Amino acid sequence: MRARHLICYSLAGSFVFTGCDRTAPAPSETPPVVVIPEAPVPAADLTHSVVRVNTTYQAWNPGQPWEKLEPRQRRSLGAVLKNHQVLTTAEMVADSTFIELESSDGRKLTPATVTAVDYEANLALLALDDDEFSADLEPLDLADDSKIGDELDIVQIENSGLPLITHGLIQSMDVVSNFLPGQYFLTYELKASMQTAASSFTLPALKDGKLAGLLTSYSSSDQLSDITATEIVRHFLADAADGDYVGFPSLGISTAALDDDKFRDWLGLDPQTGGIYISGVLKGGAAEAAGVQVGDVVTSIAGFEVDPTGYIQHPIYGRLFWSHLVRGAQPVGATLPLEVIRNGEKQTLEATLTRRESSLVPLHTFGEAPRFVVKGGLVFQELTRDLLRSFGKEWRDNAPLNLLEAYDNPEAFEDRMDHVVFLAGVIPTPATIGYESLRNLIVTEVNEQPIRDMKSLAQAFETVPANGLHTIRFDDQEVPIELDESVSTVVDGQLLQRGLSRLSRLE
Amino acid sequence: MPARCFVLLSALLLFPATLFGQARIPDKPAGAPSEIYRSVVRIEAAVQVPDYSAPWNSGRFGGGIGTGFIIGKNQILTNAHVVSNARRLLVTVHGSPEKYPAKVDFIAHDCDLALLSVEDFSDFDDFPVFKIGGVPELESQVRVIGYPIGGDRLSVTRGVVSRIDYSSYSHSRADQHLVIQIDAAINPGNSGGPVLQDGRVIGVAFQGRRDADNTGYIIPTPVINRFLTDIKDGSYDHYVDLAISTFPLFNPAMRKALQLPADGQGVLISNVISHGTCDGFLKAGDLLVSIDGHPIDSAGQILIDGAKVEFSEIVERKFAGDTVQLRYRSDGVWHDQDIPLKNLPQNQMYAIQYEKQPRYIVFGGLVFQPLDTNLFASESFNDLHVRALYQDYLSKGIFLERPDIVIMTRLLADPINSRLDEFQGMAVDKINGTTVTTLDQAQELLSQTPEKGFHVIEFLGGKRPLVLPADQVADANDRVQRTYEIDQLVNLKE
Repeated sequence: MRARHLICYSLAGSFVFTGCDRTAPAPSETPPVVVIPEAPVPAADLTHSVVRVNTTYQAWNPGQPWEKLEPRQRRSLGAVLKNHQVLTTAEMVADSTFIELESSDGRKLTPATVTAVDYEANLALLALDDDEFSADLEPLDLADDSKIGDELDIVQIENSGLPLITHGLIQSMDVVSNFLPGQYFLTYELKASMQTAASSFTLPALKDGKLAGLLTSYSSSDQLSDITATEIVRHFLADAADGDYVGFPSLGISTAALDDDKFRDWLGLDPQTGGIYISGVLKGGAAEAAGVQVGDVVTSIAGFEVDPTGYIQHPIYGRLFWSHLVRGAQPVGATLPLEVIRNGEKQTLEATLTRRESSLVPLHTFGEAPRFVVKGGLVFQELTRDLLRSFGKEWRDNAPLNLLEAYDNPEAFEDRMDHVVFLAGVIPTPATIGYESLRNLIVTEVNEQPIRDMKSLAQAFETVPANGLHTIRFDDQEVPIELDESVSTVVDGQLLQRGLSRLSRLE
Repeated sequence: MPARCFVLLSALLLFPATLFGQARIPDKPAGAPSEIYRSVVRIEAAVQVPDYSAPWNSGRFGGGIGTGFIIGKNQILTNAHVVSNARRLLVTVHGSPEKYPAKVDFIAHDCDLALLSVEDFSDFDDFPVFKIGGVPELESQVRVIGYPIGGDRLSVTRGVVSRIDYSSYSHSRADQHLVIQIDAAINPGNSGGPVLQDGRVIGVAFQGRRDADNTGYIIPTPVINRFLTDIKDGSYDHYVDLAISTFPLFNPAMRKALQLPADGQGVLISNVISHGTCDGFLKAGDLLVSIDGHPIDSAGQILIDGAKVEFSEIVERKFAGDTVQLRYRSDGVWHDQDIPLKNLPQNQMYAIQYEKQPRYIVFGGLVFQPLDTNLFASESFNDLHVRALYQDYLSKGIFLERPDIVIMTRLLADPINSRLDEFQGMAVDKINGTTVTTLDQAQELLSQTPEKGFHVIEFLGGKRPLVLPADQVADANDRVQRTYEIDQLVNLKE
């Protein structure tokens, strides 16, 4: 398994394709500009099957959650599908404020809306409502599942509108996390040398003229691309077809390899058997419901034998990590047989896959405005991964330990709270004298009411205690702080005058 | 930590001491303008610094130059960092080729001072003795005398007192005391040298700054006098402290909630460290209003000799066993309590340790070491549990349950420990079912024959237990000892 850093995807400048003419075959009507001579030339005219996707996006300001940062732009490509739909990556539509499709020749523009998005699998489906724009489009069919050794064509479009095809070979298969961390999906690893300018954005990958997947990243040093596998695209489209997108399921286990012979001996396992060790079972997850326990050894999932490193032998893809059997191959609600060894005895369990994920610290909040309360100058926020990331590139080393702990070990918090409400900072005001240095403290109680999320914080502040003071308690702090209701009300009015657009957002 | 930007003056001057030692032609001792200059000596230290990454190794040999000065009969005052981890100390005087072997009589790492004596003081008998003076005024001129880089002979610099303040003592990384900042160019080698005004010592030059020019820091006489008083009983005890955290009380709402008048007095106790001075007297939520009769203001300051200082300054001047009088309110009841001050040895978790051998266990190629600041500085621990245990060791009383936090710092690769990489840098929770509290106890647990023939080591946050077949450990230990040149597989003594 492997997470790959993404390079940013705004398309700067124009492509430089010197030498293209020398390698190009005799020009036809709209010739592919670069073709590796021995490769078959795609017969179809791709200019009507690929569109440019231009999005404007705007993220929220992590430190000042009442406002957004500067809007920015991204450009990439989308693959045209039937029913006036366009497939692109989720990162293209993340935090988008406006999405526009542009015909490959640049002569037509039309706005598009998102009909389904999966930030975990990094896929998004766009719809357009413009008959004139649609009239020229030629939808792509979905290809069959690819295997190692298959040849794919990566489609790019030059500024001139000419398609640029790069031909490559699927070198390996892996589950890769290419957008959000820890979200591993089946990915083709394609060996192809692409122009550096084309390193960074969503590109359709075709097999025999049919859509095989989306290229999500390219490493120019390795000349390797990650391409979201056809199977993932197919399941995404099937899920989205009814207009109510659900997403990929999970089993809710964490595992450890069983490649340590001594550990196998200690567990009393036969050296010949495979299996992986269950090191954690998510509360409320599918595995827990199926009766899986920490310490179990899972030897087979969905009929596939799992080897001690967690790999299975897949009939199409070859050696593959087990997670694809759950996250990729199956929809929510599917049932899978699990064979486990517990105390030396084989058992068969049946898991019904669900989408239970810990939501204590959301992995992403795209499309959602951050929840916050500003009261008297105290700035409360709900912890998200994006807020942790605002501690810089080395956020795992720099973010406060208490917040990292909530992110890493949500189960220790989940019985007390649904989200982590914390004092993110203090605006110096008459109400916050002496509190200026307080920050990154997890709120546990306000006026003796437990705080489970931002809504409950706002509610707790609504009841003013008899002495006119709100008492705020923090995790790990033995003494509370006090906030004067009348002073903070005055201060709040001033903060609004000073340009804060609002003092809270609870939804 | 602000201490990072300091330069330990002598630490910059590490070179093999063997480079030195050529005899110089004797100078006329009176080459200096004043006789007292004779009593400023040059200290040559050969040191051996333990290697926490390979704790079984001898460590790094090195050396450095510093300055010292005679303050009494066979008493040479210098900085602790000049003589820390020293294996050989030689003292030379201005204008003489003779090198006098010296030893450390007292060393205080928390205030960076040490007192040396030479084996034979007879040659020094007629040397003048430095008198310790008071605290200089701001803007007044001082002279720094010493043996900094740039030459072999004595050097004198003049400077002006720019600031008198509490600041970090970078030698221990954990201490803050009174410091005088001067604008004289203090350079490596000046460390331990006297700073004079009107013929008296007003400080010891001890550290500089990397990020500012013409700033030097000196240890003022209150700190020097405290050190000299402390050692009168024959040993140096550490500084004592109240072992509490306080929260300022200048927010009107806080005062109202605590039903306090708006008189700007008192701080809130926010944490009391178990087994510390105030444990059993104060608790979180109490209100502290005065110390030894000095009213504490709501920012935690008191007025002494017309200057506002932190209330802990009262404790700075005291010794273990002295009492401090606190006036505080606990559960609505006022107390005037004399509290005996004590040092909390667990404080040392956050101070760099010197003169100590690293403790470790090598067991089947697994290296176990107790967590301290030396280890924390030599390894980079990413594990969240380890970082939290370090951060909370004192404040949350982790030390009560685990005096030692035992870390598996590395693996010395051997067939017995293949596939165990994931456990490096993690904290040991249990060995064979028993919670690990000290390194000694860990060693005892590992030397017993386990049930089922396997040693089972559980880590905090580990995905699975680590197991070692007990009957293979002895052979593995032999192999590891030979292959990795480890003389002693276990060292439990500091």
